[in-house]
Amino acid sequence: MQRNQYPKSRELFERAVKVIPAGIPGHLGPANGCFIPVSAYPFFCERAKGAYFWDVDGNRFIDYMCAYGPNILGYNHPEVDAAARAQLAKANCTTVPAPLMIELAELLVDTVDGADWAMFAKNGGDVTNLAMLTARAATGRKKIIKFVGGYHGVLPWMLDVGYPGVLYEDIENIITIPFNNLEIFKHVLADHHGNIAGVISTPYDHQAMNENHLPADGFWSEVRQLCTANGIVLILDDVRCGFRLDVRGSDYHYGFKADLICFCKALANGYNISALCGDEALRPAISSVFATGSYWLSAVPIAAAIRCIEILREIDAPKVMKKIGDLFADGLIKVADEHGFELRVTGERAMPILTFGRDDSNLLLQEWVAEMMMRGIFLANHHNIFMNCAISEEDLEQTFTAAHESFEAVRKNHPDI
Amino acid sequence: MVMYETVKASINLHAILRNMEDLCQLDDASAEAIGDRHVAIRFSVPGIDRLVLAFQDRSCQAARGDGMTHNMNLRFSSPEHLNLMVEGEKNPLPTKGFRYITFLKDTFTFLAGQLESYLKPDRERIADDFDFLKKSTILTAYAALYAVPEIARYDEMGQKVARKIEDGIINITVGEEFGLHLIAEKGRLHTAKGRSTKARAEMMFDSFETAFGLLNGDLDSYTCIGMGYLAVRGRIPMIDNFNRLLGMVPRYLS
Repeated sequence: MQRNQYPKSRELFERAVKVIPAGIPGHLGPANGCFIPVSAYPFFCERAKGAYFWDVDGNRFIDYMCAYGPNILGYNHPEVDAAARAQLAKANCTTVPAPLMIELAELLVDTVDGADWAMFAKNGGDVTNLAMLTARAATGRKKIIKFVGGYHGVLPWMLDVGYPGVLYEDIENIITIPFNNLEIFKHVLADHHGNIAGVISTPYDHQAMNENHLPADGFWSEVRQLCTANGIVLILDDVRCGFRLDVRGSDYHYGFKADLICFCKALANGYNISALCGDEALRPAISSVFATGSYWLSAVPIAAAIRCIEILREIDAPKVMKKIGDLFADGLIKVADEHGFELRVTGERAMPILTFGRDDSNLLLQEWVAEMMMRGIFLANHHNIFMNCAISEEDLEQTFTAAHESFEAVRKNHPDI
Repeated sequence: MVMYETVKASINLHAILRNMEDLCQLDDASAEAIGDRHVAIRFSVPGIDRLVLAFQDRSCQAARGDGMTHNMNLRFSSPEHLNLMVEGEKNPLPTKGFRYITFLKDTFTFLAGQLESYLKPDRERIADDFDFLKKSTILTAYAALYAVPEIARYDEMGQKVARKIEDGIINITVGEEFGLHLIAEKGRLHTAKGRSTKARAEMMFDSFETAFGLLNGDLDSYTCIGMGYLAVRGRIPMIDNFNRLLGMVPRYLS
């Protein structure tokens, strides 16, 4: 296989850093995106279609990061884009919203098992924050429980000690405990009895940089029961998992019912919209919370979301991605094994994280992912990857071929491991 | 405020004054000033590990704790007292070794001035003199990297961040020429000289110019990573949390 080169990406980055702090800020950039080494990675995209994107140097990638989740049906999906274009021809960001907003809310209420209503915003962090405010408004309490490694956005309360700009006062009412540990959960409830407004969690422990863990048997049912008994609002951050595990919500997937569910990434196949769905009992509380934004009710992303959800339902997208994810994981584990490496695939198969055994520094993983990158397979060495419905069996075969070569290259550098 | 003064004093002692050891290796004028004199000064500050600086044969050796003998003792009534001395606003109280007062007043003051010239360097000289830039970078790196364990030990937020650093070693290197490493164990940190062969994470500066720029706030690490001037690899959460501690250093040294 030919190895990629990125001269135009580098040239553009040098231009970018002159006018944009860090060149490409945030998780799409080389620093937060863990481009290790940076020389192996493309920086800028030229175009995208289906399971692929092409960088500015003309290299094609089978993209298993899916823009960190939004690409669920395939980039530039013709039907979703057509719905968006049709709405754009009528109106987008206007002084009063388009009635389409009601259609999307009705569709979500009809699709998501625990949804009695829906509200819209732009990013995942908008709705996790809105959920937190709603929990406090509903209970009159201060404290929020979250779990170790749980990512809920970038507002100060969602971050941690030591992050530049975050004050101790921003996080003093956030209690962080290990996922899957009911004993500690019960202790915290007892220690802060009457002061906890909400519990916010992803459906399973899909933290970055580490192996992921599914909920232990009985974990969610007991958390649900304890929240109900203590008057605590249970918030499901389904921003990353939403519509990848079950279109009815990831709480439905794991057999419980959250009070509030936050969606974003896969909601509109790349159009910028997020949604908060919730239980009828919380309607007065959320109605009282002041939350809004200039683009929150723009009609184009709403039109895209409607068509995206309809298709996800029609094709049973979670089942499609589970099947692709199983083929992907089983195939890669087999290839790794043939080269004497222990590849671990943890988390849900529709969005697994890859780690290596005997690699407590992650150096082997970083080296292997870089080799894959230079062969046109976009994975991550730090974060879960994502399946999408456009990945074909041929794409998987190409991935396995690249994996063979990449393991071989890593083996040459580490003959003794 | 009490905590702030304690953290600052521990940094002044075990990161800034400790740097005399390296200053005397790098700076001929400093080595010359010491000559063949033999003076071991102990700094005693309430609530903080003691420091002994032993000057002998054109060199200086720094030792934390009470393991090294001394012939002069400087007592400080409080961490704030030490901090005011470092800022030149208050004098120490010698309780032993009065005959070395001249060394303290002349030689030690000269050495402190030399150290300051590297830690707060003249920018025009930096631009014209690579050797000066290199020495300034090394001494600034030592100051910053030895300050990090003090923040992890005494600063309340620093303690919380340090507890998140997984056990293991982080290498910080500049090309092939210079390296030091940070050892993390159960939330306690320790800085050591040289590059470790057992690191779980590495930060690699491509040049002294890059390291100088980053340590002095002229460059940002995100841009440097993208440009390839700074490379990181290994357990990135260790580096992230280490950088958060490093980011707290200017609060105490600015």
